[in-house]
Amino acid sequence: MKTSYMKLRGSQYFRQRLLLSTLSSTSILVEDIRSESASPGLRPYEVSLLRLLEKISDDCTVEINDTGTKLRYKPGVLIGGKNVVHDCGLSRSVGYFLEPLIVLGLFGKRSLSIRLKGITNDSKDPSVDTFRTTTLHILKHFGVSLDGLELKIESRGAAPLGGGEVVLVVPIVPSSLCATTWIDEGMVKRIRGVTFSTRVSPQFGNRMVFAARGVFNQFLPDVHIFTDHRSGQSSGRSPGYGISLVAETTTGCLISADMAVSHPKTEVDALMNFEEKPELMSPEDVGIQVASMLLGEIEGGGVVDSSHQGLLFLLCALCPPDVSKVRVGKLTPYSIATLRNIRDFLGVKFVIKPEPTTNTVILKCVGCGLKNLSRKIS
Amino acid sequence: MGTATGVQHHKTHRAPQSGASSKNSSSKKKQGTSNDGKQQNPKAFAFSSSVKAKRLQSQAAEKEQRRLHFPTIDHSIGEPAPYVVVVHGPPKVGKSLLIKCLVKHFTKQNLSEVRGPITVVTGKQRRVQFVECPNDINGMIDAAKFADLVLLLIDGSYGFEMETFEFLNILQVHGFPKVMGVLTHLDKFEDVKKLRKTKQRLKHRFWTEIKEGAKLFYLSGLIHGKYPKREIHNLARFISVMKHHPLSWRAVHPYLLVDRFEDLTPSERLHSNKKCDRNIILYGYLRGCNMKRATKVHIAGVGDFSLAGLTSLADPCPLPSAAKKKGLRDKEKLFYAPMSGVGDLLYDKDAVYIDINDHFVQYSKVDGENGASVRNGKDHDIGEALVKTLQTTRYSIDEKLDKSFINLFNVKPFSSSQDANVSEDRTTVGAEITRNLPVKDSVEGVHIDPMDSSSFKENAKIEKSDMTREIESDDSVEESDYESEGNHDEVDQEILFNHDQEKAEFHNGRMRRKAISTNFKDLEDSEEDDADNQLNLSSESSDGSVEGTDSDAERGNDSKWKESLIARARTRQNINLMQLVYEHSSSNPVSTGVITGSNSEDSDDDEFFIPKSEWDKRIIEKPDYDDIDVEDCSKLVIPQLKDWSNEDLISNIRDRFVTGDWSKAAKRGEEGDAEEEEEEALYGDFEDLETGDVFKNQSVDDAKEDEVIEMEDPEVEERRLKKLALRAKFDAQYDESEISDEEDDKAKGKNISSVGANTGSYFDKMKEEMELRKQMNISELNELDEATRVEVEGFRTGTYLRLEVHNVPFELVEHFNPHHPVLVGGIGLGEDNVGYMQARLKRHRWHKKVLKTRDPIIVSIGWRRYQTIPVYGVEDQNGRHRMLKYTPEHMHCFAMFWGPLAPPSAGIIAVQNLSNNQDTRKVNNNQTSKKSDNSLQSMTTDMQRWLLVFFPFGGLLWVVDASCSFRIMCIRCGIELLLAILVAASFRITATGVVLEFNHAARMMKKIKLVGYPCKIFKKTALIKDMFTSDLEIARFEGAAVRTVSGIRGQVKKPLLGDVISFFSMTQAVKAELGNRPKTMGGNIKEGIARCTFEDRILMSDIVFLRAWTQVDIPCFFNPVTTSLQSRDQPWTGMKTVAELRRENNIPVPYNKDSSYKPIERRPRKFNPLVIPQKLQADLPFASKPKNKPAQKRPLLEKRRAVVMEPHERKVHTIIQHLKLIKNEKMRKRQLKEQEKKKEYEAMKAKTEQVLKKRNREERRDRYRVQDKQKRRTRRKVA
Repeated sequence: MKTSYMKLRGSQYFRQRLLLSTLSSTSILVEDIRSESASPGLRPYEVSLLRLLEKISDDCTVEINDTGTKLRYKPGVLIGGKNVVHDCGLSRSVGYFLEPLIVLGLFGKRSLSIRLKGITNDSKDPSVDTFRTTTLHILKHFGVSLDGLELKIESRGAAPLGGGEVVLVVPIVPSSLCATTWIDEGMVKRIRGVTFSTRVSPQFGNRMVFAARGVFNQFLPDVHIFTDHRSGQSSGRSPGYGISLVAETTTGCLISADMAVSHPKTEVDALMNFEEKPELMSPEDVGIQVASMLLGEIEGGGVVDSSHQGLLFLLCALCPPDVSKVRVGKLTPYSIATLRNIRDFLGVKFVIKPEPTTNTVILKCVGCGLKNLSRKIS
Repeated sequence: MGTATGVQHHKTHRAPQSGASSKNSSSKKKQGTSNDGKQQNPKAFAFSSSVKAKRLQSQAAEKEQRRLHFPTIDHSIGEPAPYVVVVHGPPKVGKSLLIKCLVKHFTKQNLSEVRGPITVVTGKQRRVQFVECPNDINGMIDAAKFADLVLLLIDGSYGFEMETFEFLNILQVHGFPKVMGVLTHLDKFEDVKKLRKTKQRLKHRFWTEIKEGAKLFYLSGLIHGKYPKREIHNLARFISVMKHHPLSWRAVHPYLLVDRFEDLTPSERLHSNKKCDRNIILYGYLRGCNMKRATKVHIAGVGDFSLAGLTSLADPCPLPSAAKKKGLRDKEKLFYAPMSGVGDLLYDKDAVYIDINDHFVQYSKVDGENGASVRNGKDHDIGEALVKTLQTTRYSIDEKLDKSFINLFNVKPFSSSQDANVSEDRTTVGAEITRNLPVKDSVEGVHIDPMDSSSFKENAKIEKSDMTREIESDDSVEESDYESEGNHDEVDQEILFNHDQEKAEFHNGRMRRKAISTNFKDLEDSEEDDADNQLNLSSESSDGSVEGTDSDAERGNDSKWKESLIARARTRQNINLMQLVYEHSSSNPVSTGVITGSNSEDSDDDEFFIPKSEWDKRIIEKPDYDDIDVEDCSKLVIPQLKDWSNEDLISNIRDRFVTGDWSKAAKRGEEGDAEEEEEEALYGDFEDLETGDVFKNQSVDDAKEDEVIEMEDPEVEERRLKKLALRAKFDAQYDESEISDEEDDKAKGKNISSVGANTGSYFDKMKEEMELRKQMNISELNELDEATRVEVEGFRTGTYLRLEVHNVPFELVEHFNPHHPVLVGGIGLGEDNVGYMQARLKRHRWHKKVLKTRDPIIVSIGWRRYQTIPVYGVEDQNGRHRMLKYTPEHMHCFAMFWGPLAPPSAGIIAVQNLSNNQDTRKVNNNQTSKKSDNSLQSMTTDMQRWLLVFFPFGGLLWVVDASCSFRIMCIRCGIELLLAILVAASFRITATGVVLEFNHAARMMKKIKLVGYPCKIFKKTALIKDMFTSDLEIARFEGAAVRTVSGIRGQVKKPLLGDVISFFSMTQAVKAELGNRPKTMGGNIKEGIARCTFEDRILMSDIVFLRAWTQVDIPCFFNPVTTSLQSRDQPWTGMKTVAELRRENNIPVPYNKDSSYKPIERRPRKFNPLVIPQKLQADLPFASKPKNKPAQKRPLLEKRRAVVMEPHERKVHTIIQHLKLIKNEKMRKRQLKEQEKKKEYEAMKAKTEQVLKKRNREERRDRYRVQDKQKRRTRRKVA
């Protein structure tokens, strides 16, 4: 049988495309990947993602042309497996890989337990703390028990040189997810958070906590932010610090914001010679900024924050053919792209209804009824 | 007899006063009365022991649990599709007659021929589709996949035939639908007793096959060539009240049973090449689950296709209106069977003929004077009205076209060719063939043109009464405007769409009107340009995340008339967030498969060459989602954050915290709802630009009460849903009772709640949850308007769909046979991929032979049938899959094969022989009369072979008698063997199974043994030759365990290289022995000699072997069984089995001499004498020292000497011997005596025992007599 490829262009939403292609087992052909750019082709992190997919699935084929501007991906059967190790490289943080992995892991033959090495916290991708405190809990609403779900942060690694290690354990769903109706956002009842600091003064954590608390003083007394200072082996290879905040509402929704500060990659050389250490944002500023981000997210409304919208929609679309209903804040470009990709790959369309008074959007969909096909029956 | 009033009085029933029946009934009654209320001994049935009580209780609970099924959620909403009743049976058993009788019973219509599915309305809530199952195995497999109820016809006079069992097996594998048996040909029995016996026997056999108490009908015989009315009535009653449960495969896959089929290939293409790929249209009710437009389908027996068009049509056989009345009116007894040529309609491959009887011709006079269709008193039918309006047409189409003009609003459009793009469901209705349409009333020679606007309007009016006609026609005009303007983007998706035009012609002396297929384009997505506009407009005012592209440039060339549209679009743009999200770019890569990207390039076509710098700039300017290489990042980076020390901002979100105002926060949700409601009222009417229809907010009315409830908090809503669910559950339990009065409902609610409280089991909870979910789905989906709903959930089950499929092989059309139903099944996600599947398989125990690995079999999984090459295996203790050459005799085994993937737990049925020699399948058949010639031929050859196997000594005589039944006379044995038993295809089902999992890598292993011999032995190291062929191979096996036959274990070390030889300092002799010369001498060493170490020194005579496992490759072969692409009476030929090939080419079975078993000869081993070194001997103690005694040549003296006794000694010896003799004799006599005595004693004992027994019996009898007397006396006293 000849495989027919779905043709796509550009490197945009690379992860989503791969993820959806794997779940719906549609082969894809991506063309013109940064063909206009000065450095054309796939980036190292994208290649790393492809390698990761090869690791956790059986007989998937990846073909990349010489310049890297063309990719042919034929998904295999998701296997999962224990003791998988993957080095994520230093171009993107672990969060980039965790986002598709958590969904892929659910639909594998066996439960997935994978050790990811690389940068654990940076500002571009959700930090592992946010992932642990917020993202994993979203799955709870779709009938995945939190027992088998775990993210362990073994060591942290900040931006340029990384050196962090996390272990992700995802159980498989027995047959499919459960549709959810999740529209009650509730009121924020407590704010929790965790700061991290590696290879800097332990005081940095406290300074961030202090600054962030200052912002929340006007709103809520129940603010508790933990500090996680790492040193030695578990602190990675480069200095950095950051904070991840989670607001929990009365209905159990979790809204998060995070940020990490470290030396950008271009200054690795500068880092080597100690004389010229560039100035980083002060911990106080970081604290205040993340706190304002969190407040912004709370203002936006919705049952999840803006960065989790895509995941939420995807999970809704993967449900059995029941109606799922969720409320989110303003749709981000990423989530809009997710909606489109979901339509293209899974054929699921959402009914999107804005609520002008609250500035939120209510989305409804009938799931595509994806079942865990790779699971073995006895 | 009849009275004056015409009412016939029947005698009332009188109970029999005397005779056996009276006794029977009275005795029964008596028992009942004696038992009423009180039993004879109530204590006897009470629990006497707690253990027993517990056991009984657990038994009851177990029984209860066994009854339960895992609850499944039923996603079907609305009225269900007609249930498919498949009538199956061996040939000549009366299948068609049964269908005819049933149709006659339901509709009072005579059916001349049964072809294709026949849809019949059987009740107010139910339709049924009758299908006759074809007789070949492929047809049976397909029929089993769509049957909801199976009527198994069994020839009572003959008994069960193999077809029935085959079909039952197929049914079991593909989900077991309901089955009812029907016994026919019972009039052939003359003897009543024999009839009864036969019925009994067949019933019990039927029960073992299905379940205890399965329903078996008896059709006693024929009356006027039909089955008795009463029996048909009973059967019909059973059919129309039968409950159907969803089957797991079908509940998740959409499917259609095609009841109408048309070919609409453009005629010019046909002209140029008769064998070109065709475009066809398939019609049928959607079943299973909802179907979306993007679904791929599998047409059974043809292959996979993606749909070129999917539209819903008006139901050709609708359920009667829900008016409250008992029973069905005659007019509502609809019946739809386009393939069967019902009445005056004849179905052809590409046309529909309408026969008009002569006496109908006069009927249709123009009845209205003023030309308009006058409705006098009674209502006309659709078709009637349609024809009537046609009569009034005064102008031909050309004239009309000339006169036509385009007006935007409020003026009714004249018919034009553009009208064609109104949604198809209406246009096709004109050509729809429904039984209730009085087609016979139609006028001969009148050109029915459904495109004619007036007729169309009539149709539309009847169909969608809620839609006002004016608006509709407005829209259609608008659309046609768009098209005629033509200054916009080309419409992407044009759907070629057939429309039946009719042409009158003389045929066989009769007027027939042929419906010719013409094509015209259906502009489905003509709103594309409008959508663009909308996007541009809406993006301007949309929120920050979606920034607008400059719309001015595009709008520049817009003509003025569009402005009003724009204005209209503007008014509703803010609710169309959905369109904003989905219709931004025209990229729809899935369905078209065309490389698509952002529309930026499309929009500015004129700029081909852009300076690089400008390009970059543009990229920067563009919003995020227009850049195809945008950074992949889920986090939204907000450039500037707000300063949250600002009081205004704080107050903004103050109420989002628990410290804020709770009441305000609670209101937050409510307000939204209220607003929403208001909005709905404002923008309730949704105009779908796609079809040009205005959809009124249908749910407004029925949603009102919902909204009222929605105003309150969600808990109330949930409670409401729960209530609904409970109600639905109750209705499901008692679904025959259709009382929906409010009071009743309340009572029911109470009732069920109390029941729920009582049981409250996990099962009930689960069921309730599911029902709740279903109700929620329904309420959520009903809020949406029709178009959106279809987009979101697809077409609902039960809708009549029209599937357009392009590029179908022409053979399908050429060999289309309405007797063979066409099944179209939807393919789920990932099911169109191919890969290895692992299945658990069991050879059917009626299949004669075991299956051989790599012999092709035809499997049916899901919707598909294909031939594949399986490799069988079993799972070892350690989880390894070990290949088997043959399937085990009475066990399940694994089968691994390549093919289109089916989800795990899908059933598999395997056949090897598709041949249709039904007659040979009849066991013990010696009086068949339905043999076809070719099967006969094949049988004889088959038989010869078989018989040669059985009787190699020859002496066979073939007798072919006149009735084509074969008897084989074996002269020597005198045995009459029945042929059918010998023929291999006696039972065509080869194996059944289930898919366990699929993966892309095959993991079937086979054991291999590498055997080698030592060529040089050092202490515990040996060089092994002949085990490997090259050093590379040895390198692969380094470290592998080896063993000698005597059990000495070892390990492969390294290949033997030149330096190693020198290391072991071999002598020249050894090297010569190894067959090579050392490197120094210029020769190269023979490869494949491995150095192995052992736990002990091995012998040169030892054989060393290495046990290993090697992967077996599974052939990547599958061959779809395309039986629909050839004529049905031709057997489908696929890959042949090795045995078949050998038989055909007369190749003997290869014989390996080593494989045959021979007697094992073991020569006794000769061991050399033990040699003890001299020095050791000297050290040993004397006892252990080998004594160097020379072997005794002569026997010893003691053995050789003769003994002579003294005279005294001799005397003593003789006396002792005498005494012994005497003693022995005495003993013998005594023993004899004892035996006699014993015998006597035994005899006496038996005698006394007999006497005793007799006495005992008499004694007992007396006692009982006395007891009885006493009892009677006491009873009398009590009385």
